[in-house]
Amino acid sequence: MSLIQLINVTKEYKTGSETIRAVNNISLNIEEGSFVTLMGESGSGKSTLLTMLGGLNKPTGGNILIDQIDIYKLTPNALSDFRKEYVGFVFQAFQLVPYLTVEENVMLPLAISDQKRKQKKEIVFSILEKVRIKDKSLRLINELSGGEQQRVAIARALVYDPLIILADEPTGNLDSNTSKEIINIFLSIVSEGKTVVMVTHNKEYTKHSTRVIELSDGKIIKENCTLFSSVSDAVSIDKKIITMI
Amino acid sequence: MKLYSISFQSIRRRKSRTAFLIIGLLIAVASFVTLYIVSYNVNKSVAENLDEFGANMIITPKNDGLNLNYGEISITGLTIENENLKQNDISKIKSIKNKDNLSIIAPKLFNRVTIKFENVSTEKNVIAAGINFQDEIRLKKWWKVYGKLPEKSNEILIGSNIAKKLNIILNQKVNLNNKEFIITGLLNETGSQDDELIFIDLKTAQDLFNKKDELSLIEIAARCYDCPIEEIVRQTSAKLPDAKVTAIKQSIESKMAAMHSFEHFSFGISTVILVISLLVVFTNVNASVNERTKEIGIFMAVGFRRLHIIKIILLEVLVSSFVAGLLGFFMGVVAAKIITPLLSMNTNPNIDYNYSLLFISVGMAILAGLLSSIFPALRAARLDPTVAFRSL
Repeated sequence: MSLIQLINVTKEYKTGSETIRAVNNISLNIEEGSFVTLMGESGSGKSTLLTMLGGLNKPTGGNILIDQIDIYKLTPNALSDFRKEYVGFVFQAFQLVPYLTVEENVMLPLAISDQKRKQKKEIVFSILEKVRIKDKSLRLINELSGGEQQRVAIARALVYDPLIILADEPTGNLDSNTSKEIINIFLSIVSEGKTVVMVTHNKEYTKHSTRVIELSDGKIIKENCTLFSSVSDAVSIDKKIITMI
Repeated sequence: MKLYSISFQSIRRRKSRTAFLIIGLLIAVASFVTLYIVSYNVNKSVAENLDEFGANMIITPKNDGLNLNYGEISITGLTIENENLKQNDISKIKSIKNKDNLSIIAPKLFNRVTIKFENVSTEKNVIAAGINFQDEIRLKKWWKVYGKLPEKSNEILIGSNIAKKLNIILNQKVNLNNKEFIITGLLNETGSQDDELIFIDLKTAQDLFNKKDELSLIEIAARCYDCPIEEIVRQTSAKLPDAKVTAIKQSIESKMAAMHSFEHFSFGISTVILVISLLVVFTNVNASVNERTKEIGIFMAVGFRRLHIIKIILLEVLVSSFVAGLLGFFMGVVAAKIITPLLSMNTNPNIDYNYSLLFISVGMAILAGLLSSIFPALRAARLDPTVAFRSL
């Protein structure tokens, strides 16, 4: 059974008298442990799809099942708990809390857990070590470079040990070397069995993905499955998709 | 890390925003405290001065006798046959529970006296009042004496009408019941019965009229600002069961009305300042929530529930309000200490304030802070995740 199932998912926005269909009747299954890249022009619906997967944007039609849970049938509190336990978000502009230190930002999702302070610190430091930013744990966010900030954001996304990481253009504000480091972190996350869904414009990074989905006008126009036996040795199989209406 | 850590770090590291919130509430609390203390102390000062401006209580013997209209009331019990008040009644009055409210106690002894002038054979009968001159002049601040107030036992003061009728001049020697006295002061016209009286030292009068330790009436100026006059009357009546203790209500009510008008004015000003401050805090918190849309989006993304977001925002306001209440109280006290002497009738007044006002100030600041931030906090928690997330 797929970890993520999208069944005829549609999202419409109303702007005045006009209705815009950002996501148009998409059905999609994503397996656990896969690294999926969503591509497409601006306004193609990829970020909307990502926020819908994260339980932050209710579709106007269809169902989204994650780990067999129809997430938009959950109560608001249960949906918040779902986000906490299942999903970690990483954003292009990092979205860290400026008045908190690195350590505090990473610990943020744990602020509502019942774990002991010592236990929380242990979790945070092990993740900071993993993303190689432990030495800057007491710094404020504005004292860090873009790449360092994105590492902190990834660490925060991982702190609750979620099954899914949703990344919206995580390398959009970074130089190419730093971007490669961030992609490598994602690859290591995938190698641990987690599922990563990443929105990107950069085709360079698609070669590491297990699956590349291209969107246009809210529809999947192309799907490229990349089966790789190891991270460095990828074999790409192009597959044209006949879009379903 | 707990939710409160997020609030504390936000307060600690976003100093200017926190300062702005605290200042808004601090002004409200400090103004309230200042106005309250100033109003209380100025009222007290005015009340004390008003209380000493004439008697507001009068004690007479209970039995009927000669009627004399004295001041605003009718005094009975002036006949010789009736049992007068006694000198030791003053000690009893001074032993009541609210003795500290008794500002002036002015005992009096009235008696008919024969006045005879040097080298003149005719005699006249007049009424003499034995008084303690120092108490009387404090009680009757409107008295103006031509000459000087009697200081020795053989010195007397003459009412203006008597002086006119008998052609009395200053420093003239007269005989009262065959005892020689010197007139050291002439009382300017007062428009009261005082114009018809001759004033003698009380002790001298008691000896002269063979009424040792006897008194006709006792006038009292009681400070009734923080104690109802009825209570003082009740306590005094209990100590003097054979006397009639009367409150001069008209006098008290006019004094209280004057005091309360200032209280109402202060209350009005405090309310206006409080409402303005509430609006400032409301605008501030509202703007802060708008600013924090992105941050709220982050909280939602990491799995915070609506209640968690409300808690973070309200806790920040709670802490800021507590600090504002505390600082506002002390600033208000300092301001009151500067302002009160300028408004008070006393140049060096004792400024009283109760520490319960500290709790009221802190409570008021917290209530104002929470009241004005509950709506923005609820709005933040109900923020559409799509809207919050679009800003990320």
